[in-house]
Amino acid sequence: MLAGKKFQVPLFSSSAKIKGWPYVIAWCHRISGLLLVAFVLFHIYAIQSLGFPDRYNADMKLYDFFILRILEWALSIPVIFHALNGGRLILYESFGVRDDRSMIEWLFGLAILYVAILGILMLMGTQSVSPFFFWLLVMAGGLSLASGALSKVWDRRHSLPWRLQRLTAAFLLVMLPAHMLFMHLNPSMAKDAEAVVVRLQSGFMKFVDLLLLLALVFHGGYGLVSIAKDYLSSRALTVGLAVLIALTMLVAAWAGIRITLTV
Amino acid sequence: MRSRYSITLRIKRYDPDRKRSWSQDYKLEAGRILRFTDLFRKINNELDPTLAWNSSCEHAQCGTCAVKVNGKPLLACELLVENAVAFFGTTLFRVEPITIAPVVRDLIVDLEKAYERIEKIKPYVIDPVENPHPGNAYQVSPRDLEHYVEATRCINCFCCATACISSHRGFMGPNAVLASVVRIMDPRESAKAERLDMLYSDQGIYRCHTSMACSFVCPKEIDVAHFIALAKAGRFGAKGRK
Ligand code: HEM
Ligand code: SF4
Ligand code: SF4
Repeated sequence: MLAGKKFQVPLFSSSAKIKGWPYVIAWCHRISGLLLVAFVLFHIYAIQSLGFPDRYNADMKLYDFFILRILEWALSIPVIFHALNGGRLILYESFGVRDDRSMIEWLFGLAILYVAILGILMLMGTQSVSPFFFWLLVMAGGLSLASGALSKVWDRRHSLPWRLQRLTAAFLLVMLPAHMLFMHLNPSMAKDAEAVVVRLQSGFMKFVDLLLLLALVFHGGYGLVSIAKDYLSSRALTVGLAVLIALTMLVAAWAGIRITLTV
Repeated sequence: MRSRYSITLRIKRYDPDRKRSWSQDYKLEAGRILRFTDLFRKINNELDPTLAWNSSCEHAQCGTCAVKVNGKPLLACELLVENAVAFFGTTLFRVEPITIAPVVRDLIVDLEKAYERIEKIKPYVIDPVENPHPGNAYQVSPRDLEHYVEATRCINCFCCATACISSHRGFMGPNAVLASVVRIMDPRESAKAERLDMLYSDQGIYRCHTSMACSFVCPKEIDVAHFIALAKAGRFGAKGRK
């Protein structure tokens, strides 16, 4: 079925033949992780103009351009791929799920479904939900997934950052795809500064967004440091780069927290 | 079925005296069940005595003939011409040394350097438990053995380490992790804590990203990634016990 088709993707097939599909997928996970870090940083920068509704609305007008709409939609590909594959890795490593082939089929099946649903919602652009209700459900889902992972990854032998990265991964697995879905249910949800500001007056919404922000910044930062450690052998260079990454992520976190709390 | 093939080996060469590397084509007529080590020998005998390569047992038991063929790390003594043509769908084969240690000459790498990582994790029983039957060999129960016997087949050919996504700078490598996990699962070993400290470190399992290339290329068909994941889950005992 799905796997049969997948095994013929020209660009990836030669690499898969030599080192297997999970290897190709590991590279895709890494590249999508890097893309997501770049996007998160850009996104935090972009919402800084929420303090100036006119500027924010003007910025958001840019998204009326067809090509940017397509890019916005395409962003869901790395998001859902990285999220579901992260889930697959945690299932394999920490939950002992060894039926990896069918996990890969699920990964692709669910990812395609999500990207399609998001596209349809973007085209309709007329749905509206109560933010409180939506996020109450999603938070319940995100927190229960994280607590489900907790018992499996919280082995004290593991380094604390590693445990936290797995925990944030389980939490983000629900929160991030939901965040994208929510923002595209109705264009005004995200593109009208006033609507965003009104929503953020609720303490609950502030709490949700801050938790999401902290999880993103930590998870992405740890991911970058982990990649650096794969490539660098000099300890001084590794520590230097880790400090640089941590500072960047702290600045991003601070900017995000500030705008969330002050609008 | 064809009985002979006209093939080309494009071999990456390195001359340590002039510090020069280049790739050289050797055109050969080869019978279908010649192995790649046979082809190297044929090159030495018929075309170029200066080509340097490594092998010892030529029965897939020592791991010294590991090379990369068209990017895939494998044992040259196990690869038959007809299988290579069928698998890669070509008669042109790029042959390169494995990438886990500096090249000494042509296809030969510094295995002593490669073994340094294995030695670091002490691939033997560090501190044996008391033998309940002194004077006899220690008896490991078949039920205990079943959980890790597959991993004891490792010959340290470093194919897995060559394929690994983790670039091998900081990482001890899949086979070193495997060797350590085996000794943790081994009831004769008492120095488990020392081993766990080595595994749960930046040079250990945190460098592994479950790309499973190790399992995919292992010539001894060991599911290396499975054992590394057991270490991540802390499940070293029988039936997933902690
Ligand atoms: C949406 C839910 C997400 C899940 C379930 C998830 C899961 C994971 C997991 C399990 C890993 C570890 C892979 C490994 O063993 O190396 C990882 C790595 C990584 N993640 Fe995520 N992640 C998510 C979202 C994100 C986001 C939003 C970002 C960007 C801010 C991100 C950036 C990274 C990076 C850079 C890495 C390192 C990749 C590597 O080492 O190759 N992830 N993710
Ligand atoms: S695990 Fe397999 S590929 Fe790796 S060194 Fe051992 S035998 Fe070779
Ligand atoms: S599973 Fe881990 S050790 Fe094996 S090749 Fe992938 S990253 Fe390397």
